[in-house]
Amino acid sequence: MKELDPLLHSQLRLAVMSILMNVDEADFVYLKEKTDATSGNLSVQIDKLSSAGYIAVEKGFVGKKTRTVCRITESGRMAFEKYVEALKEYLNL
Amino acid sequence: MEDKKLSPKESMDLIISMIQNTKQRVAAPDMRVSVMWAVLAIVTAISVWILISVTRNSLFSFLWFAIPVIGIPANLILASKTRSKNLVKTYLDRVSDGLWKSVGYIAIGLTIACFIAQQLGYPQAWMAMLYYAFIIVGFGAVASGILLRENSYIFGGMFSIFSGFAVIICNLCQIPLYYSWVVPLYVLCFLLMFIIPAFIISRKIKSAKR
Repeated sequence: MKELDPLLHSQLRLAVMSILMNVDEADFVYLKEKTDATSGNLSVQIDKLSSAGYIAVEKGFVGKKTRTVCRITESGRMAFEKYVEALKEYLNL
Repeated sequence: MEDKKLSPKESMDLIISMIQNTKQRVAAPDMRVSVMWAVLAIVTAISVWILISVTRNSLFSFLWFAIPVIGIPANLILASKTRSKNLVKTYLDRVSDGLWKSVGYIAIGLTIACFIAQQLGYPQAWMAMLYYAFIIVGFGAVASGILLRENSYIFGGMFSIFSGFAVIICNLCQIPLYYSWVVPLYVLCFLLMFIIPAFIISRKIKSAKR
């Protein structure tokens, strides 16, 4: 049986990756709203995904406010697809 | 949500719920930019028609330039407001952006070509802008309708494309194109392509929210 990617096998990181698989890019505020996570925790998990090269994070400004936009990378997409394949095997789907 | 480990079943459920959650966004497009262009096109066309009919002065044809002169800055302002408000961008947003940018670039290119043709002594080349408004913009509306799964856009776009070909046929058959029927047709096309679909979509969004 395939091993589940430990980086994705966590509730918040998997939620973030699932959202980013479905959209082109998402703002930090949007991710926070959809995952119902705290800013601190979300920020830590985004950093982990970014360090692994699964997502790209772009920080910028809109007016005077800072804005963090996340998008999935090609390796992140592949890792997610592999993870779902492994899940299907576990669940006999 | 926390950083906790999940069972395979919980993981699969989480993925499904997140996908469902983000899908809802697709059904709520921002139509302010397209409505702004449509209103501008309609108001300009009616103004030109009335002014030329009343004064018989063809110089009022230059009023058509109000469309790009007002529309481009207004589009930039509305787009920047939308960008700062939108927290997420979907594949659909990207395709729709690309589609309407292409329609816009064609308009700019065609305006330059018509201007050059006029300088070379062919002012009738500006007729191409009319065909553009009916056919290329109509095609954009059809494509938007397919992307958003909104039949009113598709109907409006098809109506406009057929109207465009009707105008071309009239021109080829040397049937005179009078303001008295071309402008109302043009106004009707923009109403059907943008205003009515925007009204239908906003009603659908409101009832979905309820």
